[in-house]
Amino acid sequence: MSSSAPESPALIVLVGNPNVGKTTLFNALTGANQHVGNYAGVTVAVKRGETFTPHGKKITVLDLPGCYSLRASSPDERVAIDALSGNLPGEKAPDLVVCVVDASALERQLPFVLEIIEQGHPVVLALNMVDVAEKSGLRLDPVKMSEELGVPVVPMQANAKKGIIDLKQTFRAPFPTPAPTPWFHGNGDTDVSRKKFTDRVCEVSARRPDAHQQTLSDKLDRFFLHPIFGWVAFIAIMFAIFWTIFSWASVPMDFIEGLFGSLGEWVGGKMPDGDLRSLIVDGVIAGLSGTLVFLPQIVLLFLFIGLLESSGYMARAAYMMDGVMAFAGLSGKSFLPMFSSFACAIPGVMATRTIDSPKERLVTIFVAPWMSCSARLPVYFLLIPLLLSKGSPAWQQALILFSIYTVGVISAFFAARVVRGRLGPDKTSNHFLLELPPYRLPQWSYILRHVIDRGWAFVARAGTIILGLCILLWALQTYPKKEGTEDAGELMEYSAMGRIGNVIEPVVKPLGFDGRVGTAILTSFAAREVFNSTLGILFHAEEAEDDDATTNLIRDKVSAATWPDGRPLFTPLTAVSLLVFFIYALQCLPTSAVVARESGSLKWAVGQFFFMSGFAYVASLLVFQAGRLMGF
Amino acid sequence: MSIRPADAPGNESTQSLNEVEVGLDFRISGIDGPSSDRLRDLGFREDTPIRKLSGGRNLVCSISGTRLAISKDLAAQVFVAPVL
Repeated sequence: MSSSAPESPALIVLVGNPNVGKTTLFNALTGANQHVGNYAGVTVAVKRGETFTPHGKKITVLDLPGCYSLRASSPDERVAIDALSGNLPGEKAPDLVVCVVDASALERQLPFVLEIIEQGHPVVLALNMVDVAEKSGLRLDPVKMSEELGVPVVPMQANAKKGIIDLKQTFRAPFPTPAPTPWFHGNGDTDVSRKKFTDRVCEVSARRPDAHQQTLSDKLDRFFLHPIFGWVAFIAIMFAIFWTIFSWASVPMDFIEGLFGSLGEWVGGKMPDGDLRSLIVDGVIAGLSGTLVFLPQIVLLFLFIGLLESSGYMARAAYMMDGVMAFAGLSGKSFLPMFSSFACAIPGVMATRTIDSPKERLVTIFVAPWMSCSARLPVYFLLIPLLLSKGSPAWQQALILFSIYTVGVISAFFAARVVRGRLGPDKTSNHFLLELPPYRLPQWSYILRHVIDRGWAFVARAGTIILGLCILLWALQTYPKKEGTEDAGELMEYSAMGRIGNVIEPVVKPLGFDGRVGTAILTSFAAREVFNSTLGILFHAEEAEDDDATTNLIRDKVSAATWPDGRPLFTPLTAVSLLVFFIYALQCLPTSAVVARESGSLKWAVGQFFFMSGFAYVASLLVFQAGRLMGF
Repeated sequence: MSIRPADAPGNESTQSLNEVEVGLDFRISGIDGPSSDRLRDLGFREDTPIRKLSGGRNLVCSISGTRLAISKDLAAQVFVAPVL
């Protein structure tokens, strides 16, 4: 794959302003399924794929992050510029540059195309989203445009795969020669000369209707960006998402629970009593069901984030949130990375590359893990019902979940404000600046594929890391075996896990937890979701003799658990203390690795880990002790 | 590099984008300030028609069919004149 190989395939790069559909085109060309959205900054790193010319010749395609000019100001823009100049490690200089432009915004985007032509690259212009442009009354003449610019112009609609074949025709060697640059005189104000040339090209090949037309997006924005109704809509949308995650997911969750329950019974009935049966039923099946049961909720969360991105609302939310983010010393640009962190902190931390201010970026990276990610959801879903009576309506659960997220967000804001204040102002001033894309109907095929990918990643994680840990945990709580007793409690006490629990118990007791919960917390530092599996395995041991324990719900088991003196282990206060711990603790090694890479500082990542985990312990301790003093 | 509208003769009607009324069409008469390069990259160029869509902490404007939200500080660097 090295670029110096004798027959290395030709290299084509896709460049253009943010949110013009480069990734959609990349996916259509390469058959890949890279994440797309309807807001600027979805692509923050170079993506590589392969496509073929109509004659079957292999071609490498790079999808570059969007940029506005060759004067870069944010890290993702610099990546795009390096790729164009051939300075990207491991990649040669491009053989052909495909400039992707939004056909509705040519006056704004053509000067950047001219800048690239000036660099002497062979250029093809992909005139994307022609359907939207023509609907808005723009009269496009690609042939005339091509004559004026001196480069091939391909009208297309990448999301409907229209124009892809025509574009591929231009990938055939020999590539077009670099176009002349009649506007470029080498002296004077090139910005002005590019603008004049752009105006001429638009005048003859992209006539705009004279009157400013009131589009549907304008009308929608009057509502969604309204100082009062806009906030009502924002809060309603966010709450509806949380409510739906709870209420819609219950049907598939019951199904998965039932499936694992029957599987456990069936396997248990077929196998003779012994260690192997115990491993399969108590270790593997109980452990996996504790994690996989939350798949529907995670799928729904990713579906909603995909919908917000694809429809164009995400950018409005960033606009609305700019004033709120200012309280934390951040700007609306930090909203997108922080909101993405609700799904997973890793893409969230990566999305900070769109933030121009280096210090704001560092602060956003620092606090992003306090946005409750989807790996915490299984733990929240397990604990929230412990706070409510049986059969409570879904909205009450949603309200608690909403509050948990709010606690994380508010804490992150305070932390950001403190850290931002200590870092001092930036060397150059950076201002809020955001493109508000037109509202679009969601691209269902991409959203669904993305959701399936993320869901599959969750299942794959359950099938590998979590399965491995389940087996390890089972072994730790089964061995060494105490001879001459069948009592589950005594066996547990004697096992390696029981001994670990005894060591941990004094540390976690002030937080309201026993050794088993402490052990579960310890294992959750490998992956948060393992907490559920560990509880499932640990508490199942106690009830192994109980024939009535037919339900596979870990929750029922833990809520019945007691301290040795008979007091219930899981009071609502314990559940709150545990929730607080999970809101704050940074229990995700991959996140720390990405933070180290993105911040360029191992110290920052290590500091973040110890700060967040220490904070979690102290917060949980305060909540439990204060709660007890107040008589809960 | 930057055009100073205040210095240019016959530009008395020029105001910054912050000062003009919402809902009206203008044309950009000049960009002046520390962020002028960035603003030009985004499409704020001299003689481009512009419509102010909303005011407030960040204002929304439409240039060449694209809606952009920019901060007050940035809008103070964009000077507009009535459409002739």
